Amino acid sequence: MSFLGGRSNANASAVNYDKMEMAVTELDTVTDFFNRMVSSCYTKCVGGRYPADGDLNKGESVCIDKCVAKYNEVQKKVGEKLQSRGAAAQASGAAPGSGSAFGSL
Amino acid sequence: MDFSNFNSAEQAHMTKIIEKKQMQDFLKMYANIVEKCFTTCCNDFTSKALSSKEDACVANCTEKWLKHSERVGARFAEFNAEQASQ
Repeated sequence: MSFLGGRSNANASAVNYDKMEMAVTELDTVTDFFNRMVSSCYTKCVGGRYPADGDLNKGESVCIDKCVAKYNEVQKKVGEKLQSRGAAAQASGAAPGSGSAFGSL
Repeated sequence: MDFSNFNSAEQAHMTKIIEKKQMQDFLKMYANIVEKCFTTCCNDFTSKALSSKEDACVANCTEKWLKHSERVGARFAEFNAEQASQ
């Protein structure tokens, strides 16, 4: 019998690959979120203007701080909305995932 | 991301994965900076070489992006720490 998964005998040297995969997915999600946030806030606060120098001026710095806070807020709100829609859809017995490309599988 | 319930084999595995991802992330960032700064700075194609103005622009652009990325990272880390302690 394989020692991966199966019995949970708390073997200190076993690697739980499901746990690994979840952790990697989470890592990927956070990295993607961060990269999008950097890109969006650059567009909103610094813009594609010809850079006068290599430093961020006060206005840009303050804008970036606010942008990060707002971006995180939006992420929270969207997450809540999606969760509540999912819960409502489940309660009313609608087909789960019917709004995505994989809904008809 | 809580890695405290990982045993030592899992932590070692995770560390390798994180290192690989950090390298890939760095390469992606490099490509992004090149594209962004090229778009911002290089608009005159009458010459093959970069003019000194374009050269300075690229240097400033790169510096600006890196500082910006650093600042976003710092604020994000603060936000996460705040969320974790709630």
